[in-house]
Formats: sequence, C-alpha cells, structure tokens
Amino acid sequence: MSNYKAIMIGGSAGSFQVVTKIVASLPKDYPLPVMLCLHRLKHVRSGFVEALSIKSQMPIIEPDDKDPIKSGRIYLAPANYHMYVELGNKFALSTEDVVNHSRPAIDLSFFTAAYNYKNKLVGIILSGANKDGALGLKSVKDAGGLTIVQDPNECQVPTMTLASMNATNVDHVFSTQKIINFLLNLA
Amino acid sequence: MSTTLGIVDTKKIIAAINDMYGVDYSNYTLTTLRRRFLYVMGCLNILSADILVEQIHRNNIDFDDFVDKLMIDTTELFRDPSLWREVREKLLPEICSSPGSKIWMSGVSSGEELYSLMVVLHEMGLQKDVRVVASCPSNIRIDRIKKGGIFPMKRMELGEANYTRFSGKFEFTKYYTVSDNFAYMDTSLIENVEFNNFNISQDKSDKSYRMIFCRNLMIQYNMPLYERVLQNLMDNLTVGAYLILGNKETINHSEVSKRLYTFDSIEKIYRKRS
Repeated sequence: MSNYKAIMIGGSAGSFQVVTKIVASLPKDYPLPVMLCLHRLKHVRSGFVEALSIKSQMPIIEPDDKDPIKSGRIYLAPANYHMYVELGNKFALSTEDVVNHSRPAIDLSFFTAAYNYKNKLVGIILSGANKDGALGLKSVKDAGGLTIVQDPNECQVPTMTLASMNATNVDHVFSTQKIINFLLNLA
Repeated sequence: MSTTLGIVDTKKIIAAINDMYGVDYSNYTLTTLRRRFLYVMGCLNILSADILVEQIHRNNIDFDDFVDKLMIDTTELFRDPSLWREVREKLLPEICSSPGSKIWMSGVSSGEELYSLMVVLHEMGLQKDVRVVASCPSNIRIDRIKKGGIFPMKRMELGEANYTRFSGKFEFTKYYTVSDNFAYMDTSLIENVEFNNFNISQDKSDKSYRMIFCRNLMIQYNMPLYERVLQNLMDNLTVGAYLILGNKETINHSEVSKRLYTFDSIEKIYRKRS
C-alpha cells in the first residue's frame, strides 16, 4: 500500500488521448481517488465524462459541490467551475473569475489539493498549450508531494510540461506508459 | 502578492471582521474565502494578514467596499442557457398563470442573473404579472445594478453568446448601451423589481415564493451554513414551488432533500413537496 492518498492530473491541448489511456489502464478497484482538471469549453457541459467513460473501468464523475472525495473513483472538474479540494477531503466548486484564461483552472485545483493532502499527493501535468498548472505543480512539490510531468518529447503540445519543469524541480519526467506503470504500482 | 494564506491567518481575519463589523464569515468555505481575502488584500495593496487585521481593528477599511470586493460576481448573463430555456418554456408559464406570483432572486451579486430573468419575463410579456424580489447584502452593488449593472464588454460578449444559445427573441444589443467600454443594461427591465438587503442565512421567512433562484451561492458556504440556508429557503417556498440551484450544486447533502423532489436533475430544479 502506498503512502499517497490522492492523484491529481492536469492537462490541456493534446492531453485527451493520454488521459483516455490512463483511465483505461486503471483497474475498477483502484485504491486512490484520481482527480482530473482538464481545460474544456465553458459552455459545453455534457459529453466529456461520457467520452472518457467509454474505456474506463473506474466510474468517472463530475462532482457536485460538497461531495466527499472517495477512493476508486475518477473525478473530472466540471465545465465553468473551478474545482477545489476543501479541508476534510471534500470538493468545493467555485465560480470565481477565470485564471490563466481557464475555468476550471489547473493551478487552483492543484493549490487546494496540495494544501489539503500535503506530501500525500501525486501531481501530474500532461500535454498543454499554456502555462496553467506550472505554479500548481510547484505547490505540490513545495508541500512535499510527488510531481510528474509527461515527457515533453512525447507531448502533442509541450508548453505546459516545460513551464512546469521551469517552475519546479519535478521528480519524474515520464512517458504515458511510464505514468501508467507508476500509477499501477501505487495500488 | 502572496499566493497562499494559512488557516490561522484566515481565522484571524474572520475574527477581526466579526469584532469590528459584526459580520460572521466563519461559515464560509475556507478554500474559497482564503482566495477571496487574498484577492481583496491585492486590491487594497495590503501585504500580509497581520496588516489587514490591524487595518480592520483601526477601522481603516471601508467595509462596504471590502464586502463588495469580497463577493464573487463572476456569473454570466444567461449562464447555463438550457436552464433559462426551461424557465421560459416550463416554469414561468405555470407560475404566471396565477396573478401576483412572487419570484425571489436570493443572493444577487453582479445582477447578471437578475437581468437574465427580467429579459425572459420581458420577452414573454410577463414583466408586470409577477413580483420579483432581489436580495443583495451590498448596497454598493444594488446601486450599480440599478444603474444598469455596468459590465465590462468582455462579459457582454459572453452574455450575448449565451443569449444566442438561449434563443432569445431579439438581438441582445437591444438590451444595453455602451459607454466608455462598459455596458449599461436597460434599467426599465428592473423598474418593478423590489430590492432589499435580506440575508438568507439569518432572516425569517414569509413562505410566499413560487420560485427561488439561489444559483452558485451556497458553494461559498460550509455544511452548517448550507443546511441553515436550505432550511430558510424551504420556509420561503409555497407547496409545489420551484427551487433552482447552480447546475453542480445539490440538495443531497441536506435534511431538506426529503421535503423536495427533483424536477430536473441536470438543471438542478427542485419542487417543494406537499
């Protein structure tokens, strides 16, 4: 059993296929909650969960505000809300202004998860076209959590991973397959 | 500007505000409140929690301005167009069939929700058939809303896109004028609206509303306040009345879930049981 209590993954342009591969590889009884904060169109509320769910064995849920965070589930930040982790392992959603042109903003999800889980969090940044997530991943590192970025050479758009590597000394630079192996080893 | 504020500092600020102004923020979602305090500190060029606490204790803060800045006003005109379509097509025709029905916009912040509702009522020709009550804790904001909301043009572009998805009757530009890059909504839309400072977390009820909008307000509250507010909302609804929450809010964490049934699980529309 690993020391970690939660996994948070941030991604944007070019991350959809990577996320799909990751969620498809996790077993139904995966023992940790997996939170996804992916950039998405603000006004398109439906379709994303359905598309990710096709190959996933774990249930994928867009949490409602105040829902408890449970193991064995994948949570996707809903459209047009920021997704925060509130102390006590609950979600808190917010309609505060966009950050890095995004709502949900990856930085904000990571800040709040790092604050709640401290060194028990694994933060992963995937392909993306802006720098959202870089400061978030730094906050995970600063709180003692484990940080991983997708190998920029493999990313469709490496801006986000490179910005993250600039912002903090990340623990691992992994290919998609290595990320999957790592997550499976936590189980 | 600092990017984090610890729990201890946050609680010090909450205590100082309560001491000086008698307003209690201790039941707000800590994560969101920490970010809001940081935001206001940034606006006021205050560099640390200790300095803010000192300024509050010396009464060097314009508290109305502080509350105004603390409020989250980033909703949109016609946020969730599909909800507004349903309000237009199903809810309002029923509610307005009995004259003098009351609708309550609780927790108004920017006025965008209120103006959206009033545009819908206007387009249905029902503006004078219902009584709309709007509650907002900030007088600064009520004044701004009465002057037309005064929205940055970027927000209007978003509102216009939402209005198009809502399939409104007219060009959205009909509803506002532009001055110095700010949009002023047509204030005749809200001329019959009754404004007050009613605070849903504290005040008593009058049990007479046929429809209450409370969208994305309780996401700022912790569990005890969420429960109390929902109980108050229940007391303000007539039997069969509609309660509309934000589309990622739920009544499922509350006791009141037994006293309501789900009318639309996607748009989060509930009705009070008899």
